[in-house]
Amino acid sequence: MCIQVRILSQESHEYHVQVDWTDDGVGDLLIEGKPTTKVSAPPEFEGPEGIISPEDLFVAAATSCFMTTFATFSKRMRFDFESFSCQGTGTLEKLERGFEFTKLLLKTRVVVDSKETKPKAERALELAAKYCLVSNSMKCPTEHENIVIVG
Amino acid sequence: MRVVWTGGKSGDVLVSNKPTIRTGSPPEFGGTKEFHSPEDLFVASASVCFMNSFVVFTEKMHIRFESFEVEAKGLLEKVGQSYEITHLHMKTKVVIESEDLRSKMARALELGAKYCYVANSMKCPKEYENEIVVR
Repeated sequence: MCIQVRILSQESHEYHVQVDWTDDGVGDLLIEGKPTTKVSAPPEFEGPEGIISPEDLFVAAATSCFMTTFATFSKRMRFDFESFSCQGTGTLEKLERGFEFTKLLLKTRVVVDSKETKPKAERALELAAKYCLVSNSMKCPTEHENIVIVG
Repeated sequence: MRVVWTGGKSGDVLVSNKPTIRTGSPPEFGGTKEFHSPEDLFVASASVCFMNSFVVFTEKMHIRFESFEVEAKGLLEKVGQSYEITHLHMKTKVVIESEDLRSKMARALELGAKYCYVANSMKCPKEYENEIVVR
């Protein structure tokens, strides 16, 4: 079983994942060195309850990429934040050729410890939206609603 | 769903009533290697959707298979000033019981790919390499 992340050069990377069907539409998502995750169709497409679906993974990919990109910009801009929480919602709609995600909405709340940091955090959120490589790889538009609070 | 930062470049993906997925930047972007990276999740979403879509077509066509596995590879490349996933490659192996199921199974794989709505929501081209083996 070959699952690996191979670094090709500084400017390109490969990601390998494996999915093995176990029974009745449930499968194991296998990525080397990472916890195995059970996956299936969501209940609205006749899957069981309580198991991560590809739709969840799709929205999770964009949401977590936004977080890691924000964390990267906060380091570059040399500021600290207290907390970051982002709620991601994806809209799946039936188009002519089948279902497609037509919109992603990311609602983010960042807490910082001083008034001076607030504009920096706002700027980092803006840059993270622009450079989030996962949303940039998706066809649908991503909308952002950001709140930065001094805690 | 919510992603809550837990420190550094890591966080928890929380989907109600489902197991938490720990996520973080991959090592090549200054993160740790033990959590699912957003890039992993992206490639995983397309491959799991392909599996589900294939299973749906086998049910519609009333055919059974013994096993299914897909090895998916996503290529991340620099495009302009930013990065993008530019290519997805899915290598699938399906085991069937008898030779006469082969053409139907090939069709289910084809339809599974065509109607995989996660892959259809991604910009990059997708390449499928299917192998059907009689047990």
